[in-house]
Amino acid sequence: MDRAEIVHQNFLRRVGEGDFPLPRSKVSLRDVGMTAEQLVAIFRAQVISRQLDRRSRTLQAEGHGFYTIGSSGHEGNAAIAAALRVDDPAFLHYRDGAFQVARALKATGQTPVRDMLLSFVCSSDDPISGGRHKVLGSKPLSIPPQTSTIASHLPKAVGAAYSIGLARRHRPEHQQYPDDAIVMCSFGDASLNHSTAQGAVNTAGWTCYKGTPLPLLFVCEDNGIGISVKSPKGWVEASLRARPGLEYFSCDGLDMIDAFAVAKTAEQWVRRHRKPAVLHMECVRLYGHAGADAQTVYLARHEIEEAEANDPLLHSARRLIDETTLSAQDVLTVYGQEEQRIARVANDVIARPKLQTAAQVRASIVPAKRTCLLSNGPSPEARAAVFGDADLRAMGEPQHLARNINFALNDLMLEHEEIVLAGEDIGCKGGVYGVTQRLHGRFGARRVIDTLLDEQSILGLAIGLGQNGFIPIPEIQFLAYLHNAEDQLRGEAATLSFFSDGQFTNPMIVRIAGLAYQRGFGGHFHNDNSIAVLRDIPGLIIACPSNGRDATLMLRESVRLAREEQRIVVFLEPIALYMTRDLHAEGDSLWTHTYPQPGTQSPSFGEVGTEGKGTDLAIVTYGNGYYRSVQAQKRLLDDHGLQSTVVDIRWLAPLPAQSLLDATEACERILIVDECRSTGSQSEALMAFFGENSTKPVSRITADDCFIPTGPAYGATLPSRDDVIAAALALVTTGRRTQ
Amino acid sequence: MSRKTALVVAPGRGTYNKEELGYLKRHHAHHVELIAGFDAERRRMGQRPLHDLDGAERYSVNEFSRGDNASGLIHACAICDFLDIDTDQYEVVAITGNSMGWYLALACSGSLAQQDGFKLVNTMGTFMQDGLIGGQMIYPFVDDAWREIPGKRTALLSLIEEVPGLYLSIELGGMLVLAGEESALAAAEARLEPIGGRFPMRLANHAAFHTPLQQPVSERGRGALPVELFGKPSWPLVDGRGHIWYPFETSVPDLWDYTLGHQVVQHYDFSAAVRHGVREFAPEVIILLGPGGTLGGAIAQVLIADEWRGLTSKTEFAERQSSDPILLSMGLADQRAKVVSRGKAQTSNLTPWANGRSAE
Repeated sequence: MDRAEIVHQNFLRRVGEGDFPLPRSKVSLRDVGMTAEQLVAIFRAQVISRQLDRRSRTLQAEGHGFYTIGSSGHEGNAAIAAALRVDDPAFLHYRDGAFQVARALKATGQTPVRDMLLSFVCSSDDPISGGRHKVLGSKPLSIPPQTSTIASHLPKAVGAAYSIGLARRHRPEHQQYPDDAIVMCSFGDASLNHSTAQGAVNTAGWTCYKGTPLPLLFVCEDNGIGISVKSPKGWVEASLRARPGLEYFSCDGLDMIDAFAVAKTAEQWVRRHRKPAVLHMECVRLYGHAGADAQTVYLARHEIEEAEANDPLLHSARRLIDETTLSAQDVLTVYGQEEQRIARVANDVIARPKLQTAAQVRASIVPAKRTCLLSNGPSPEARAAVFGDADLRAMGEPQHLARNINFALNDLMLEHEEIVLAGEDIGCKGGVYGVTQRLHGRFGARRVIDTLLDEQSILGLAIGLGQNGFIPIPEIQFLAYLHNAEDQLRGEAATLSFFSDGQFTNPMIVRIAGLAYQRGFGGHFHNDNSIAVLRDIPGLIIACPSNGRDATLMLRESVRLAREEQRIVVFLEPIALYMTRDLHAEGDSLWTHTYPQPGTQSPSFGEVGTEGKGTDLAIVTYGNGYYRSVQAQKRLLDDHGLQSTVVDIRWLAPLPAQSLLDATEACERILIVDECRSTGSQSEALMAFFGENSTKPVSRITADDCFIPTGPAYGATLPSRDDVIAAALALVTTGRRTQ
Repeated sequence: MSRKTALVVAPGRGTYNKEELGYLKRHHAHHVELIAGFDAERRRMGQRPLHDLDGAERYSVNEFSRGDNASGLIHACAICDFLDIDTDQYEVVAITGNSMGWYLALACSGSLAQQDGFKLVNTMGTFMQDGLIGGQMIYPFVDDAWREIPGKRTALLSLIEEVPGLYLSIELGGMLVLAGEESALAAAEARLEPIGGRFPMRLANHAAFHTPLQQPVSERGRGALPVELFGKPSWPLVDGRGHIWYPFETSVPDLWDYTLGHQVVQHYDFSAAVRHGVREFAPEVIILLGPGGTLGGAIAQVLIADEWRGLTSKTEFAERQSSDPILLSMGLADQRAKVVSRGKAQTSNLTPWANGRSAE
């Protein structure tokens, strides 16, 4: 017999016979200040969750349902929901169905039974994801959705907790969480071992250890096994009990009074101290990992039966009978009535509409625009006070890229108090390349955050801040450092609007110092030239300025995109051009630009830049490639009489299609110059794009499929000015690329 | 044969009209003791007994629509109807009501004993009549097919924002009930396009229910109707926020507080009550207690807006009603016949969710 059916029959039989598992706790309702009503409400949530699990299997068997990973055995988390407030943001483990139901029953006017069933059948009526994905989540219940399958939701929970403390001092216009809220974040015992989880737990402790408020309650739901691999006995407690900066609580997830009592204690501790804690909840896993999982392959029969004998619902039934006036029959009545109504509601929801077209599925990748307060920009007095005479004078003179970005960040932070910078060494030091110099002193440590060395935590901080209405501008110190953290963008930040049907958003601008060509500071990790990992993330914008003027204007446009359109923007800054001043000859200062004052018309999102109006050839490029192509443009004209237009793509993703076609329309040929690798670079997409949309001859030069070496050969694998010239000549004379 | 599951809806004010005169006499002679008990309370309050009112030769709008009379009459009709639901055929899975119908729903659910339920509705009706603060009017935002006219509801809500002292009182299917002092209602009327010579329609003898103007009534109610009158419901109740109160776990002080507080002074979302009732309990039918059947239109409009079981228009609803009715109005003779037990004068033998037990 199916284990779910065995557990069900066990419940009916054992409650009917009064055959309950031995009590695990002696605390009574009175001891912990609970009411009988609270206890029954928790039980109802547990029963609803259990019956939903059972129904999900029936729905799948009938071809109507698409998700069977259940919460059975973890229903103790309903007691944790009861101990928290409805407006405490909760980043939930995928086995927290009972938590969400309990919270819904506690809130006003919710319909958790139908809502959960709609998500099982992937109906477009599903109020959280619109039928896109089975996720726990709810806007009115402050439960941001995520899949939580690999513990990648922990870093953003840390960020959200940080944002609550910060919002008290710098109130964001679109603040979402109350000042006295605490963040709850749950995960399984196996997930605790993910480096992402370990990093987030460490970051929480580190943050607390240095005295920063962080009202965060981690909940580790310990059922003792991760799919088929057991956690060593006592491992979770051993791992979490003595973490610096993290208070440890443990509760029995099989006993709802104990779970509620300890959760309440932990909740009050976190809310009062505004420090992080972890609540270790012991529980069991029933029915295996998911519908198709055969536990008997890796567990002995007695182990399975031992867990089933400790079904938390049996413990709850005993507690209800012992602690309230409910009889065994009453308990069975609640259980049976919920079973029946869930079956009825399930029958209704299978007829509800599903998503059908690609456009419907895609619709929530990009969230809706939001209304923001209008701003006239910082006043002259405020600017004078922040910049001082020296900076104001410097603005009137041509400056390099890094200085322009620095000025722009100052102005943006002055204008929008919800902008927060975060990254390694960006504060006191002012950044490895000085881009954030003086910002820390001018805007304070709360808005210019020197983070610990963990990119997942930096991006998690940004996600949490973004969810609470801030406009975070996290910095990844070098492009290569993004890779150990990219899932925070790919799997978390970029999917939030998609999973929530546009109801939750986490706008941000991720500044990344990257790309190659650094002459004196070589090596792969400081000169990475691959952004393939970013290019295919749906909805993500990649901006890449090549000069100081563009950088300023594009950064302003990026902030507008994040603030008003709730977009996630990666702002890729070419390190090698940070301090570059000259273009063609030493001392010509042609790569310096006067800082565009606030109010200057910005190139809008998707608008490419051009240099020259020649029609023999269009050179389509970006970043360092643009710089070298402009150098080549002069030589091509002077030495070979070739007239060209150099097109700076500026916005690498999504590809500015129409603007590219317009900019190259008058040209006879197209040469693509890409400083990233031959494989996976923009050039591939551009070749395909022009192949599909143009009949002009097109060729490309790229970097080799190689890592960047340290030392004199730093540029050996990269397109040089002369390579561009050679490729252009080849294209013009033979219609093909150079060999 | 398995019983059909039913969501029970109790009607609000304005449902005992000329056609309903004699309703108690016609349908509820077997509940004579219960009605006598209600009349004892009426006499104690110095009010005309229901028996007299219902047995009057002539219907008078002035007298019958007064809060102190209408409330008691409608309560008696509805409670008696509830008791007459054929439990061999129907299983009640949840109860809700519109406006004053919330008090009736409480009484039906067993949250208040029969006489206490009557006392609640009669007392609040009397207080309303004593004060008669402001008034109500009704205006639709659906077309003839009962489909929402795009932008109309939003425009009405904007009107409420713009006219000082005008409030949203009830969300009533495809209509909104607006309320306020006379000046606010007049200002709203001046801006609302007349529809079919009926709308905007003033509701006679109605106060500005479910608005902050009723704060004095709320306070009098709290003073006159102690929490001890209340108990836990035996069936799930869906209130005027679409919130569900479950039998064992209902906090009685919270229920009392909502009933005499929020419910009196904040808008009543009957649409949410019906919508959440059908969404969360998936009943096979909706039973609308009598008297009258006018609330059936609003219920149908909610179902159409929700595309409940594929209903998308008034025509489809009417077709469904003629083949396999989804809505059974006990105030309409032909539908009543489908609900009541034949020839059986019964007291309540309904099977409640909670078996009449509390958790305490």
